[in-house]
Amino acid sequence: KGDKAVTYEQAHPPHYIAHRKGWLSLHTGNLCGEGGAAERTLEDAFLRRFLGGTFPGCVLDSVVLKRRGNLVVLSAVLSRALPPHKIYFLGGYTETLLSHFLKCPVRLDLQTLPARLPYKYL
Amino acid sequence: MAAGALMGVLAPYGGCGWSCASPSGPQGVGGGEKMAAGWLCRRLCQGSAFPVSYASRILQNQCFFQNSNLVGVRLAGSQANTEGPKTNPLVSISDEPETLYKRVSLLVKGHDKAVLDSYEYFAVLAAKELGISVEKVHNPPKTVERFTLLKSVHIYKKHRVQYEMRTHYLCLELKYLTSSTAAVYLEYVQRNLPEGVAMEVKKTKIEKIPEHIREPIWDTLPQVEETEVKS
Repeated sequence: KGDKAVTYEQAHPPHYIAHRKGWLSLHTGNLCGEGGAAERTLEDAFLRRFLGGTFPGCVLDSVVLKRRGNLVVLSAVLSRALPPHKIYFLGGYTETLLSHFLKCPVRLDLQTLPARLPYKYL
Repeated sequence: MAAGALMGVLAPYGGCGWSCASPSGPQGVGGGEKMAAGWLCRRLCQGSAFPVSYASRILQNQCFFQNSNLVGVRLAGSQANTEGPKTNPLVSISDEPETLYKRVSLLVKGHDKAVLDSYEYFAVLAAKELGISVEKVHNPPKTVERFTLLKSVHIYKKHRVQYEMRTHYLCLELKYLTSSTAAVYLEYVQRNLPEGVAMEVKKTKIEKIPEHIREPIWDTLPQVEETEVKS
């Protein structure tokens, strides 16, 4: 025991959200007097599954989604399993496909790491 | 030119709005050196209703980076001087009197207080650079929406889970603006709204008193002779 690596995101329970953790999906749906939270949540679920599928086995940790006006920014951390030209192709493919699908500009910010960063071992 | 220099110096929230397809952006506000990049930006934005691809966005970033170094440098003997007075196609001058605003109040809502604090610093700095007087900046108390749900799927009524959503507010009140100043300031400040933050704007207009109530009625009506009425 003591060999299961756990990332910072996974190690903190949800009551730490505004204190030690940030938000994974940033939109105005949950603010007082603003609507559209359900649609955003559905889009978030779809985007996470889509990214999990296009980069098979490469996505380390959760994708951060940000919405600024019309623009959707997806910030993902990938592992270096695929060669760079394939990652660039898949990135451009997701951007164009998602923007045609969601009818709004979509931007993908990628970062690669050699392996998942452990915060502690359980 | 102050607004152009401002955009070069203050880019904290990443210039989100540049990739939105909106032709009337603050791209024409910069000087002559930025015209090329502005034109390129507009062309790319208008040419495709969907976002620009990687390569053109990288080109766009390079253009911006190079041009930001040229702001303030006098290009001696350049071709720009021979054109005469530059007429910016995005700036329109009209003769009708501008509507004046007594107070423009921005209410900014967000989940994260730190984000709101940094946005307050940014908005106050932008107002000072544009010469807008800030009347008051205060934080209305946060509203918390809580609900208590059952923890388990089937029974166990005594064990519940509580969730809450906190909304923090920031209120900026600006004094005595013209409509064009307000338009420029609001456009800049709204393009740089961080994600997860919403804003509501209330404007208080100053209007002239209408003609029919300028003079009190008892001065305008002709004098009526009083006749005694015997009951």
